Amino acid sequence: MNFYFLGIAFILFGAIFSFFIKKSDLKLKLISFFSSIGAISVIFSSIKTFISGAGEKVFDVGFIFQSVRFSLDNISAFFAIIISFISALAIIYSIGYLKPYIQKNKSITSHCLFLNLLMISMLLVVVCQNALLFLIIWELMSLSSFFLVIFEHENKEVIKSGVKYLIYMHISVIFIILFFALLSIQSHSLDFKYFYEIAKQNSSFANIAFIFGFIGFGIKAGFVPFHNWLPDAHPKAPSFVSAMMSAVMIKTGIYGIIRTIEICSIPKIEIIYFVLLISLITGLYGIFYASVQKDIKKMLAYSSIENIGIIGIGLSVYLLATYFEYPTVALIALCGSFAHILNHAIFKALLFLSAGSVYIKTHTKDMEILGGLIKKMPITALCFIIGGISICALPPFNGFVSEFFIYISFIQALDINNFGVFIAILFAFASLALIGRVAILCFTKTISIAFLGEARSKNAQEVKFDNSKTMLIPMGILSSLCLLIGLFPQYIFKYTLKPASVFIDYGCACKLISFLDVISKCLLAFLGLILLFLLIKKIISNKQETYSTWGCGYNRLTNKVQYSASSFVGPFLTILKPLFKRTRDVKKAKGLFPKEAHYITKVDDIEEAYIISPILKWDEKFLSKFEIIQNGDIQQYIRFGLAFLLIALICAILIS
Amino acid sequence: MLIKFLNIILLLITPFLMVGLIRKTKAFWGARKGASIFQPFYDFVKLMKKESVFSSSTTLIFKLSPIISFACVIFAGLFVPMVQGQSIINIQGGIIIFAYVLALSKFISILSAMETASSFEGMGASREACFTTIIEPAFFIVVASIMALSKIYTFDSLNMILYSSNHLGYLIILFAILALLIMLIVEGARVPVDDPSTHLELTMIHEVMILDNCSQELALISYSAWMKMFLISSLIATILLPLGLSLWVSLVSFLGVILFISILIGTIESAIARLRMGHVFEFVFVMSSFALVVASLVALKLYGV
Repeated sequence: MNFYFLGIAFILFGAIFSFFIKKSDLKLKLISFFSSIGAISVIFSSIKTFISGAGEKVFDVGFIFQSVRFSLDNISAFFAIIISFISALAIIYSIGYLKPYIQKNKSITSHCLFLNLLMISMLLVVVCQNALLFLIIWELMSLSSFFLVIFEHENKEVIKSGVKYLIYMHISVIFIILFFALLSIQSHSLDFKYFYEIAKQNSSFANIAFIFGFIGFGIKAGFVPFHNWLPDAHPKAPSFVSAMMSAVMIKTGIYGIIRTIEICSIPKIEIIYFVLLISLITGLYGIFYASVQKDIKKMLAYSSIENIGIIGIGLSVYLLATYFEYPTVALIALCGSFAHILNHAIFKALLFLSAGSVYIKTHTKDMEILGGLIKKMPITALCFIIGGISICALPPFNGFVSEFFIYISFIQALDINNFGVFIAILFAFASLALIGRVAILCFTKTISIAFLGEARSKNAQEVKFDNSKTMLIPMGILSSLCLLIGLFPQYIFKYTLKPASVFIDYGCACKLISFLDVISKCLLAFLGLILLFLLIKKIISNKQETYSTWGCGYNRLTNKVQYSASSFVGPFLTILKPLFKRTRDVKKAKGLFPKEAHYITKVDDIEEAYIISPILKWDEKFLSKFEIIQNGDIQQYIRFGLAFLLIALICAILIS
Repeated sequence: MLIKFLNIILLLITPFLMVGLIRKTKAFWGARKGASIFQPFYDFVKLMKKESVFSSSTTLIFKLSPIISFACVIFAGLFVPMVQGQSIINIQGGIIIFAYVLALSKFISILSAMETASSFEGMGASREACFTTIIEPAFFIVVASIMALSKIYTFDSLNMILYSSNHLGYLIILFAILALLIMLIVEGARVPVDDPSTHLELTMIHEVMILDNCSQELALISYSAWMKMFLISSLIATILLPLGLSLWVSLVSFLGVILFISILIGTIESAIARLRMGHVFEFVFVMSSFALVVASLVALKLYGV
């Protein structure tokens, strides 16, 4: 635990120190240096926890906090490793990313500060065991990420999305406060450890608390229908911030849900089915909308929602299996969820960083006007492709491992002799398969439109070189991790067993590890087979020639005739017509010499279009009625004041 | 060991024969003599000797993708039970590795099609990606329900449904096979979904994706498409054939089922025309409904509701 605080102190020191340095360039290097050292220290302390058990620090603050307890148990250590590792890489990446902004003389002082504050607050959230302090740190995390999102605050859209994010976070906090308030009123304490006992004694009370906790933390994690802030806030933030938020920060929501499960233990069966349903909807909704986006980062944000859904599916299968007392199934499902938390952090950070690398070079996030980047930015393209293969859960990369765990838990859950479970598992099975396949559609689209083929516009045409090393190295580290975890699932399973052991006694794990050894050998053999075939092909290959693409007899077509992103998803959109709100803006070409014509299609989020916008409209209408009270007229305000004093006086007289 | 060896031989050779047979059947219904059933193999050898031409828009992905996707299909083949209902690698969750490895081959081939910057190939790739999204969940529902029935969590469970014999059991077998047949037609790119013998781009799916491939690459792509067809047929054969046959009886009956399926596909191709693209979706959705029927029959059998 000491090293943990030492690490946080390093990061804090970096933030403060950089505040006094004038040169922006140096400032970034400084904070990335200090946060890397801090990250190493935190990771060291977390690994020590895995080996020698939980560490604890109690500070007697008194005041309203009573005693403040920080505890680094296996769950916290698991999250702390992910948080510190990904954040440190993202901060290193920022050196290269912010260079063009620094050249334009944009001040980044506050940005650096909030970057470190976000990292610190995330690291503190996962160890804090005092409800009140937890809320304060939670708020600090939301606020610092808000300031990071509005980095390009000259743009009004950015401010708008930032405020939307802030509003969502505060709705989330309301539920979290309710959750903690319920527990602490009952237990007369703010410490988590007294909450367990209370929840154990009164199960109906625990169920209510569970629902509050799930909704509150679910908003942070981005479960549908509370996902709407994600696709707005993530694309607007700088790429490394989106990487931190999407890969790590929304996982603090998952952390909250896991703590909720730990505190409230297993809820009623109806609630479990509800959680499963929400997770399935989240997964499907996220990936459906991801597949129709044209903005790369917006697509990635929706795909984060999908992955949160997958994590949720794993957690709910865990709840289901524990409810019916099938510990092996529960263990596999829980490990699947934990593995997916880790894997998603890795590949989503990788994808966001690669998308940022494209953005810095082409100044656009719209994939429809990119194309052919693989020839000019081969490393970025390779990283994005690796990230894409991983996120589609294809072997031998890491996404496959976690989804494989979850699939195995489904298969074994078929053992549970219960009609409801059978139907639920069958649906989960089909949904996860559907999610995987739509993910393939979505990522083949993005990769091929943005990176393959020929350049569709000047933006893509004018790119000459790949980005600088400070940007490529973090991406390289993440991509190699994707492959390594994919090839050796047994080690990652052992790693996820640590946090899972808090919940389940893992006696049944040995058999699973030997099973995973076999899987690992299979995947290695698979990779070997591919390499072998490539080698054989190299030996027997014939003479090669280059010629232009076959165009039905036409040569030298313009690059605009290539398939576009919207036409790629066209067939898929027609299947799922009712799920999307599509608007078309058509101006047809008229006359013999048509001057201008356009055809623009847009797909909006149905939740936003049919639920949130009407509510907001109604809200505005309702609130505008109060304009009489607050009309900007100072004399009226003085009248209000006099009236208040008068009433107060009368009350005072009456009471006395 | 012998069985594993036999399986590998079958995996490598039968795809050619299957396609040869399908073509022969089509020739028979068209009152033609038709080429020898070994013609696909001769074509393969001929293509392997030819010089490659690559589009100037493409990079390494285009060159490597046929090989990677071929390796994927071969690897997927290792998990599929063939002679005596035994597969080369038999592990729990093999079914998932099978499906996901095939998905990887699809992923790579879509990328390679899109790399040519041709709108034809884009069209094919988009359709291919779209159809899988419908096929795969249905496949998983069929397999998961069968697993729930037999409580065996490998591909072996396909063998076992034969032994759950009462009327419901037979119905389950019937619908499972129908679902797999549709999957076979869609994944193998056969009529009425796709037509491998014409080159009219606007109506095609798989065939249009490979317009720019030639020589060795084309040979490998066609070979892996045929092999995929063979793999799904072997799943059907596994459902149909009882366990405990002696090696040679099992081999012969396995080949018999494959022969029957090839003739059936040839007959279907001669009897019906290709569907219009809009109707292809409806055809593919039929598989999902069959899968749901299988699931509800299994629920009926297990829980009697």
